[in-house]
Amino acid sequence: MVKLQWLIPLLPVLSALLVHLLAGRLGKRVAQLSVGMGVVTFLVALWQIVVYIASDQGPSWMGIGASWGSVYLDPLSAIMALVVAGFSLIVHIYSVRYMAEEPGYARFFMLLDLMTAAILLFVTAGDLITLLIAWHLVSVMMYFLLGQNTESRPGERYAFWTFLTYRIGDLPMVLAAVVLFQAYGALDFPTLFDRLMADPEAEVFGMPAAITAAGLIAISAFAKSAQFPLHTWLPYTMDGPTPVSALMHAGIVNAGGIIINRFAPAFVNADGVLHLLFVVGLLTAVIGSVLMLTQNDIKKSLGYSTMGQMGFMIMECGVGAFSLAVFHLIAHGMFKATMFLSSGDLIGDARRHDDVPQNPLYTFLVDRKTGKATRLPWMAIGLVTLIVPLAILLLAHWAVSPDFFQKQGAIVLLFFGWITGVQVLFATHRLDATNPVRMMLMILLSFALIVIGYSIIGHTFETFLYPDAAFREALYHAAGLDAVTFDGLVILLGLIVLVGWIGSYLASREESLFGNRFTELRLTLYSLISRELYIADLYTRLSQSLLEGSKRINVWMRWR
Amino acid sequence: MNTLLLLLAGFFLPLFPLSMVFNWVLARFTHPVIRILVILVWPQIGVLLLLAAGAPLTGSAFLWWGLLTAAFYAWRLLTVRELGQWSAMLATSAFALTWVMAADSGRAIDLHAFVLGFAVAPALLVAVTALLESRLGAAYAGLVTGMARDMPRLAGLIAVSLLAAMALPISPGFFAMVGLLLHSELAPVVMALLTWLLWSWAGTRLLRNTVFGPRSGKNVADLQPLHAWGFAVVIVAAVLMNLIWTGA
Repeated sequence: MVKLQWLIPLLPVLSALLVHLLAGRLGKRVAQLSVGMGVVTFLVALWQIVVYIASDQGPSWMGIGASWGSVYLDPLSAIMALVVAGFSLIVHIYSVRYMAEEPGYARFFMLLDLMTAAILLFVTAGDLITLLIAWHLVSVMMYFLLGQNTESRPGERYAFWTFLTYRIGDLPMVLAAVVLFQAYGALDFPTLFDRLMADPEAEVFGMPAAITAAGLIAISAFAKSAQFPLHTWLPYTMDGPTPVSALMHAGIVNAGGIIINRFAPAFVNADGVLHLLFVVGLLTAVIGSVLMLTQNDIKKSLGYSTMGQMGFMIMECGVGAFSLAVFHLIAHGMFKATMFLSSGDLIGDARRHDDVPQNPLYTFLVDRKTGKATRLPWMAIGLVTLIVPLAILLLAHWAVSPDFFQKQGAIVLLFFGWITGVQVLFATHRLDATNPVRMMLMILLSFALIVIGYSIIGHTFETFLYPDAAFREALYHAAGLDAVTFDGLVILLGLIVLVGWIGSYLASREESLFGNRFTELRLTLYSLISRELYIADLYTRLSQSLLEGSKRINVWMRWR
Repeated sequence: MNTLLLLLAGFFLPLFPLSMVFNWVLARFTHPVIRILVILVWPQIGVLLLLAAGAPLTGSAFLWWGLLTAAFYAWRLLTVRELGQWSAMLATSAFALTWVMAADSGRAIDLHAFVLGFAVAPALLVAVTALLESRLGAAYAGLVTGMARDMPRLAGLIAVSLLAAMALPISPGFFAMVGLLLHSELAPVVMALLTWLLWSWAGTRLLRNTVFGPRSGKNVADLQPLHAWGFAVVIVAAVLMNLIWTGA
């Protein structure tokens, strides 16, 4: 069974080779060849996961080299290979027509195949060296795909930004591999993880190996998944072709979550690093969302939206919900790929029918015009808004896992779920509707369906990805805090949210909590955010200083 | 350890400022075959001297001298635009890392393979330099931009050569670098990683001003298909031999 796992990354490589060699003879028909190979790759990935589940044999590993070159078949590699092959196939099919008028048609499909191969090798790698090769190749392929239009200066500039940030992220990954290899003397994952779990306290370079490796992998994940402050490349990568944006926002940017899951045996022994993941993820989610709201460029806004989602994904890892992060990245990938790939149709529709729909939902969401004050009793709305989402969340999770509430991570996730639910109801209570009770019930029903679906699928997914209940428990336990700190943080977060709600309510009535006292501060904050916190400017200044120094020293030394 | 021999090796496994001799030699000879031979043979002489001096050089100051030279030349690479000079400085930076390797390993075969792994990319770049000079009169980044449009084979060769120069997978330089890092101490590893990052930065700066960008400069003939195949065979052979050597 594991032998077939080799085919998954090799088929796209073969496809790229054939596309390159036959481009002259087949012309634009090479795209069909590429799509055909994509279908075969997807079917092999599908076969692998079906056989894996049916056989119930557990993970298996296969190497071809004396020291490196191996693949691993476990739940994570099986599910991610299927997802990546699926997304890639959709992007391939979409590109056949979308890229038809663009120069470098055959080159595009070759690069797309090579990128698919790199990601598939990354998710199926069975040892540190193979993983490093794939991890680096993702950066390289990303650079060339974003620079597909070789004559576009902005496209190339932002491809360069992305490449350099990815390289900054690649290097901690290499260092993590060095730490793990020197501490445990193994390159292949099964041996490495066994030794890691047997001796999590092992030291290397005078530092705890598991914690150091986990910290370095986290930094690497931050760069690949656009976490603050390594996020600046993501909103600017829209100059690449739309299929590349779709592949990147749906797949490549998720690499951070996948790598954290791959090295879960290191993270389970690194509680401090899990807390770091939570803080960085939370910060990224907040900053990404705030920056998204202040953009006037819809593409950059989408980029920051992805950044916010990636923040949530990393945060989920930080609370020990590793499988939920994988579930989230798949769901987000589907959502974002749909958005990007349907953008062309939407633009076409808008050109054909430039009239806007005159319905309450459109005027509420797009025109931001609220209806008259709600006709439901104020107190009833307040109670429904606060209590019903909480009840739905608690009941749904209790039904799938009664001991769920013992975990702090679960409480945090429920808290966020609750806030989201309340936010939805709070935001829509002023929506003009002929029957407000019916509208509220429909919203609650939708919310309940989403929560129940998410809970059942999420729980099933968790037991598939991490079948060992003790390991799942250990992940949540490692992510936990002492009771006093945890309760304090929950209260603090609750207060921040409450103040935010009050502020938002008063703002909607054109009032303020503090009058005009903080107007100047608010304007400063707004200009800071609208300039994206000057982080890209800071990097530019730093790189210019390094280049200036290099030039001076070269002139002084007469270029010898 | 024989310090005199080590200092002598410093000319061949370039240590700054002795490294200026290596760069001067490469600039002095313009014929590509001679330059390639210098790049392939020069560091091997250094390895022989190192071995004669008594490698491994555990705890030697030469390790840090080598590391600082590597990082220094990588930093200088950022603003070099002449491809021949760029390949010479890259070779200087890469060969200087041999001192880190020698701190851990005294095995002759490891050290010879290490410098050979790092010599492939600069040698390839010398060949690319010769191709550009024969067509354009000079191999200078920015002289002709946007080559990917009209000269796809030449642009492809430049791109592959520069990726190899950045020691990216699956070039021999990548395996040489990873092999070095897996057996080194923390501080040298961090320094070598910074050097590696600077190579990537410098390499992409060259790509930006040759392969990418709006088409500018004079129109010249692309690489002949036969020559392109010749280069492809050499590159694939180097990669395959290295993969077998590293245990894939």
